[in-house]
Amino acid sequence: MRLAREDRFGDIEPLLGLVEKPSRYLDHEWGVCEDQDGPFHTCLIYADVYEVGQPNLGLAILYDELNAQQGFSCERAYLPWVDMADLMREHGVPMLSLETSSPVASFDIVGFTLAHELVCTNVLEALDLAGIALRSDERDEDDPLVIAGGPSAWNCEPLAPALDAVLLGDGEGALVEMARCVRDARDEGLSRGQILLRLAQLDGVYVPSLYDVVVDKTSTRWGYAVPKEGTGAPAMVRKHCIPDLASTDPAVQRIVPYMSVVQDRFAVEVLRGCARGCRFCQAGMTYRPVRERPFEQVVPAVREGLRTSGFDECALTSLSTTDHSQCARMVRTLNEELASAGVRVSIPSQRLDSFGVEMATAVGSSRKAGLTFAPEAGSQRLRDVINKNVTERDLEFAVTNAFKSGYRRMKLYFMMGLPTETDEDLLGIPRLAEDVLRMGREILGPRAKVSVSISVAVFVPKCHTPFQWAGQLPLEEVHRRQQLMLHAATDRALRVSYHGSWPSLVEGVLSKMGRAGFDLILAAWRLGCRFDAWSDQFDFDAWNQAAAEVGLNLEDVACETFDLEARLPWDHTSPGVSKGYLQREWRRAMSAEVTPDCTFTSCTGCGVCPSLGVSNVLAGERA
Amino acid sequence: MSTLPPNACRLRVRYVKDGRLAYLGHLEVMQTVMRSVRRSGVPFEVGNGFARRMRIQFSQALPVGASSRGEYYDLLLSDPLDEQEALEALRLASPKALAPNAAMLLPRRVPALEAWADFSRWKVCVRGLSMDAEEFAARVQELREQDVLRFMRGEKERSISLAQTLVSCEASDVANGIDLVLQTRHSSQGSLRPAVLVNAVCGVAPLRVCRMGQWHLADDGYLIDPMTRGE
Ligand code: SF4
Repeated sequence: MRLAREDRFGDIEPLLGLVEKPSRYLDHEWGVCEDQDGPFHTCLIYADVYEVGQPNLGLAILYDELNAQQGFSCERAYLPWVDMADLMREHGVPMLSLETSSPVASFDIVGFTLAHELVCTNVLEALDLAGIALRSDERDEDDPLVIAGGPSAWNCEPLAPALDAVLLGDGEGALVEMARCVRDARDEGLSRGQILLRLAQLDGVYVPSLYDVVVDKTSTRWGYAVPKEGTGAPAMVRKHCIPDLASTDPAVQRIVPYMSVVQDRFAVEVLRGCARGCRFCQAGMTYRPVRERPFEQVVPAVREGLRTSGFDECALTSLSTTDHSQCARMVRTLNEELASAGVRVSIPSQRLDSFGVEMATAVGSSRKAGLTFAPEAGSQRLRDVINKNVTERDLEFAVTNAFKSGYRRMKLYFMMGLPTETDEDLLGIPRLAEDVLRMGREILGPRAKVSVSISVAVFVPKCHTPFQWAGQLPLEEVHRRQQLMLHAATDRALRVSYHGSWPSLVEGVLSKMGRAGFDLILAAWRLGCRFDAWSDQFDFDAWNQAAAEVGLNLEDVACETFDLEARLPWDHTSPGVSKGYLQREWRRAMSAEVTPDCTFTSCTGCGVCPSLGVSNVLAGERA
Repeated sequence: MSTLPPNACRLRVRYVKDGRLAYLGHLEVMQTVMRSVRRSGVPFEVGNGFARRMRIQFSQALPVGASSRGEYYDLLLSDPLDEQEALEALRLASPKALAPNAAMLLPRRVPALEAWADFSRWKVCVRGLSMDAEEFAARVQELREQDVLRFMRGEKERSISLAQTLVSCEASDVANGIDLVLQTRHSSQGSLRPAVLVNAVCGVAPLRVCRMGQWHLADDGYLIDPMTRGE
């Protein structure tokens, strides 16, 4: 039922003194859009706590765009932490937006950012707390339209029954189009069903209820989706893609939080897309082509953003900032300008070569915190399989440079359970780490306190990647391989840590399943699962129980390999990269053949550019 | 500007903490103030350490949930400027509920604000109580005689000497509870939080806490306002 739009801050105010971090619920931050008159109201939800969701740049872009439109307004909401959610239920307070403290169920559109698979139970938790029916087909005519988008929307099938529409690809322009479409349709008096038909005609918009799931011998057991007859819904929904990042506003992060958030800084997205072609990486496939924002736009945006926000750190963000053709110039210019005002410049990912180290040194990465590299695999053969185009020599160079620049600590990230992995590949991980230690001691002297920590995550196969057909490693095997590595890492200056294997298994399940996954998520949520990405909240027993209730076994689902020719649950959505390319990449992986980055060489035929009518946009020559 | 001390490059600012921002913690307030300073364009000094932090000092931490009419910070300026201009720039760059309302230039070297402004006056409204003001006052007196007050903060037991930290407590009856005016003094052991005293007297009760002001308690017993320019 649509709730009345009214300010209900008075309902949660008495609860503020009773919760762990009241500042999560205060709003009124510097830079918020106070004018929320609408009359068309949207609410964007990041289904995690405020401090995790607030720095999200995607949400900031859409917030800004919608609020700039005449007649539309946009507010934010984050999922209340468990203490507050329980109190709200006890006191009969529904989930509220931040800006006007209006019930989320009073909005015209409610949009979720799907940041990763483990957010699924949180989406249900948010809908329930808001008082919105969990299933799209149970919603009333005037209920909010529940939509979703974001990096993890690519296999949204397990959540599809909860979603009225899904936006695939870049949000710029597209969300505003969706909002306009809904407003116009409502003005014309169209029914909810008719509105969905209209939405399905928009670029990049997928309306799950207009598709049937068919399971037959051409598919996996999770089937594939086909448009229902007479709906006019496209057989394949291609992503919405903006051709040029420079045509968008670079300084969208206007809100300055009161509380400490996970990335407390002013961020400018300096490039979108990465064409390095790591075969496990979903973002690398789904965000193509590469679009750089030019120096002339980035530097003034940072200046202006810092001036109006007051942050003392700025970040040049992207999937691979050090690949930006003007990275060095941007970093140097900003550093020179900002250091005297006590402002730090940071760049997220570290390239595994001497340029990466040079940039890390230039941004003054803390020597104490050390440097982070992600070789991902322990042997050259396996690095070739995953197309991580890094050689032992690159690593040696990078590490040598780092030690010479005064770093003493290195963090190395790896994955376990990659396709074709053997014990020999795995043992290469501690061996490589020990080589790094040895180099450090050689350069800094035998008494220097050099330390290397290696962090090993479980590989989770993701849709729309060349590894989407792979199965995940069974738990028992994960644990055996962990032991194997622990025993091999004998040097005391070597620290080995593992990411939780249990949450990874659930992540794998949700990445593999089609629409049938909804019953599993629903059962898990009913058993109390929420905030699954938080290790202190994640409850593996409850997930197992939920799986049993719906007649599944989590390992069976996650560890299943798919036939290369099978129709997949997500084949009706496309980021532009063709399935043929992914199959070819899978075959090349099996023979450890590497594929170069098209921004450094020439087109390798992934299909994005011709199918979406776009191309890589570089601001200069890449080196 | 004629009354300014010769080497005035410390700007003392008084600000409020109000409305829903009463729920900010001390670190959150400090963070917000520092960002407001950066937005204001007021030229501040930066430390020489690796982190190159803004050179700023704050008065005593206010508990989460408490509002205030008088919080202070001292900011070292890198360039001299008019105190009224600075105040106006800071006001425009601050959230309304943390708005500065007075600014004064001081010499570079003055005692550290946090230790110096050691005296606070509080107004506390306690509601839904079964005791009246007289009973409340009597109970406070008993606690004072015992001197050491033990209380829990989170999981940990703490204690504080009332003799050293509680200067006075006046209670008066109002419609559905009592209002208190408390005066507290910072000691080497720390400060007495009004909620700790109220909880010790009557258990957990709905209350509203506002710091009415802060002063320095001089050796001769006089209270010195932080906004007094000295000689
Ligand atoms: S189509 Fe070619 S140039 Fe375009 S992103 Fe794919 S590989 Fe690169």
